[in-house]
Amino acid sequence: MSEPYRYFLIFLGAVLVYNIILIRFIALCPLIGVSTKVETSIGMAMSVLFVMTMATTVSWIAWNYILEPLGVGEFLYIPAFILIIAALVQFVEMVIKKVSTPLYRAMGIYLPLITTNCAVLAAATEAVKPGFLKLNVPYHFGLLEAIIYTVGVALGFGIIIIMFACIRERLETSPVPHSFRGAPIAFMTATLLSLAFMGFANLLGL
Amino acid sequence: MDWSIVWKAALALSGISLLFGVLLAVADMKFAVEIDPRIDDVLSVLVGSNCGACGFPGCQAAAEAVVEGKAAADVCLAGGPDIAREVGRIMGVDVEAKERGVALVFCKGGLTESPLRAVYQGINSCSAASKISGGGKACDYGCLGLGTCRNACPVNAIIIDPDHRRWINRDRCTGCGICVDVCPRDLIQMVPRDQEVLVVCSNRDKGKVARKLCSVSCIACRKCEKVCDFDAIHVENNCARIDYEKCTQCGKCIEECPNNVIVRVVPPRNYKPVTSAS
Repeated sequence: MSEPYRYFLIFLGAVLVYNIILIRFIALCPLIGVSTKVETSIGMAMSVLFVMTMATTVSWIAWNYILEPLGVGEFLYIPAFILIIAALVQFVEMVIKKVSTPLYRAMGIYLPLITTNCAVLAAATEAVKPGFLKLNVPYHFGLLEAIIYTVGVALGFGIIIIMFACIRERLETSPVPHSFRGAPIAFMTATLLSLAFMGFANLLGL
Repeated sequence: MDWSIVWKAALALSGISLLFGVLLAVADMKFAVEIDPRIDDVLSVLVGSNCGACGFPGCQAAAEAVVEGKAAADVCLAGGPDIAREVGRIMGVDVEAKERGVALVFCKGGLTESPLRAVYQGINSCSAASKISGGGKACDYGCLGLGTCRNACPVNAIIIDPDHRRWINRDRCTGCGICVDVCPRDLIQMVPRDQEVLVVCSNRDKGKVARKLCSVSCIACRKCEKVCDFDAIHVENNCARIDYEKCTQCGKCIEECPNNVIVRVVPPRNYKPVTSAS
């Protein structure tokens, strides 16, 4: 297996085959919460992509140069990664506020929310700490692989949440039975989408 | 057991925290956005209960609007003239002294005084009940007592007792006017804080009907009108109303009223008459 092909498989696996929302049911909260409008879901997807990539990069450095050499990574990875994500989001928020006010206005509300987004922690943990990744590809936990994997996870998240927002905008005007309005029909839609995505299983041997 | 793991864990986590702490501190200085210091000043004098009566989402937004010139200094309805003057001092503008009222439910009848004509078993809210043939209360103008105003009050100034009588804590009431808007029967109005004599009924039925519906209803007998020396009380649409400008609060009408609809309420304890803008 050539190196570029391996990277491609890692990316594809993260986006489609092991999609974070529909296959692994992580980050269902933003799926239901921030998918009522396409506009806001795009904002959320961009923010997640941005924060997730940065979080994994810094977590990778922390894991390989602080936690692992000290031998404490095995039980300290969750508090350490959460700390990293929270601090990073704060930092990014400050920078964006200074550099670009329009971007801050667009992303501002979602950035603090992402601090507690389980998908960010999940992506960072899987990409950095051995023992969590489920991809059927040789994975060596290098920085480049980790970033490729995380970008894939974030894109998978973004595609689903934007797609879902489009469906929900159509659902708003559809004759849905009264008792199914809102979250119930959204969850049922998510179930059907999830079934469809399970069709990607074993794609290219993943 | 190897205890070195403990200090290693502490070292790792405190190290990362320290690193990010320093990073954030530096970033806070380096990327500080110039914020008008008046925003914080204005925010500190506002009431701070985030009641939203001003129309802005919370006191922070109201303070920003004041500083940006999008709102006047008397933006804070709940704060009243004192706070408006404080805000005006920060912003460097003169604020006219404007009196904030206190809420009053213009209905005295509980279940004992005004019997039910039907049993309402729907959603526990006045707005829902009033849409279903006017709820269970016999009087079409009276308070339904299901607590829509109580639930809307941001400072918990309204209490409803088991007999469906309303008690407004006039010390707590900030005069924000939210309850005035939510009452489906428009029974709540703002009255001046120093007004003690009030007609607590809104029934506009003719006297005979009103007497039958409720034992504490205004029957439009006009006795109060005749006894008033100052031409301050008048019966309009079968219900007495006091002109607060003319009323001297002598209390003659209270004694005269056959149905005890006119009452003397205690003014709020923390009430200070507005003298002049300083």
